[in-house]
Amino acid sequence: MSAVASMRDSILRADTRLSKYNPLSRILFYDDFDEGVNGWCELVGNHAGNLDDIRGIARDFRPPQLSSCTFFDIGTHGSIEGTYSLKLATRAVPNHAAIAIKRLTYMRRGLVQFETWFTFKAEQTFDRASLSGWDGNKAPSERQFGDFSFSNDICDGENGKRYMGLVRYLNTDVDGNLVQKWMHKTSVQPTTRMERQGVVPPNQDFHTVNPDDWEEIPGGNQPLCFNETASKVNWHYLKWIMDTSRRRMVELQCNDNVMDLSSIEVPVYDGHYHGLPNLLNFLLDVRTHTNVRNFLYLDSVLVSVDW
Amino acid sequence: MLRRSFTAVLEKNSTFTSDFVTEPYEAGWALEARWFVRILEISPGAGLTMTAQISPDGLFWCDQESGSFSLKEAGLASMPLRNFGQWLRLDARLSGKNPHVKVLIYLALKG
Repeated sequence: MSAVASMRDSILRADTRLSKYNPLSRILFYDDFDEGVNGWCELVGNHAGNLDDIRGIARDFRPPQLSSCTFFDIGTHGSIEGTYSLKLATRAVPNHAAIAIKRLTYMRRGLVQFETWFTFKAEQTFDRASLSGWDGNKAPSERQFGDFSFSNDICDGENGKRYMGLVRYLNTDVDGNLVQKWMHKTSVQPTTRMERQGVVPPNQDFHTVNPDDWEEIPGGNQPLCFNETASKVNWHYLKWIMDTSRRRMVELQCNDNVMDLSSIEVPVYDGHYHGLPNLLNFLLDVRTHTNVRNFLYLDSVLVSVDW
Repeated sequence: MLRRSFTAVLEKNSTFTSDFVTEPYEAGWALEARWFVRILEISPGAGLTMTAQISPDGLFWCDQESGSFSLKEAGLASMPLRNFGQWLRLDARLSGKNPHVKVLIYLALKG
């Protein structure tokens, strides 16, 4: 390691906020949600002024919240450092998703690394029937959490290729059975233009043409730490690397599980999209499979690049 | 440090034909809040009365002390709030015969 690299490493390790991350050479942004929403806003489908024109799947992704992780039984949990985290909350409607987005453009193509400390929960319910067979360890609430995803939206300059990398943690199937696997998608996210042109029917899963267009990431089986009740929050580390020079995903790490993504094909759109040169968007989402609200919490986010 | 602010759009061109409540929204960081309700369409003779509600946990709710505000025609109305807890929502009651209303609902927060 060079003297400069060693000094940088020492500085990062001495910074109590950054030392829990592993950034590439340039930190593009670091979001501590004790400081506000930092540009993460609700995703909304395209329209030209009339909100009635927004297609159904993309009209209600809910505003993100600054959460103190406060629960009815213990009060405020707080985040790793400070009080607040970024919270995405679904409605209590099966298949409803909440999606937040942060929008940038890029200077150069290369590695883009997304890191976060996150946790996920289903809203506390009080249905005694759901406690049937409760053994005091396995949380009924865990089976009421559907899935969450991290993704991006990238366009290679004017008239360039557009594509979206994505990793999803599928906690349960639609019947409430635990799956607990990392997944990748095999089709593009239908766009407003595709739907208006009749290229695709209205989609049920925002990210894919068909609800079943998903495959397991090799090595993606990974139970996470839900921790027994709806109000115990354990933060998880995640690192996800994309190589925009090759339009490929590189690697996903969640805690001690490192998954090689390099063999996975990232679906690319047919044709070109106007007005998106150098697009570099980051997205977060959570989806419930039942009539229970699902929440995704991020303590902080760090995105770094090698350019 | 500048004061922080955030506006959440809790309903977008949503149509209701009966009483409703907005989704729970965490606002513990904010010192003040203001509800904005914009009625795009309302059926003749119908009225919409909205009461701010608060909650310590996002699960159980009571009315906040600020009272209610009402609209009977298309337009924008608002109501300020202070001294609330972690969570806010609006309890909306529709009156009239076979009422329907189409609304945008905003929650503007400052802290």
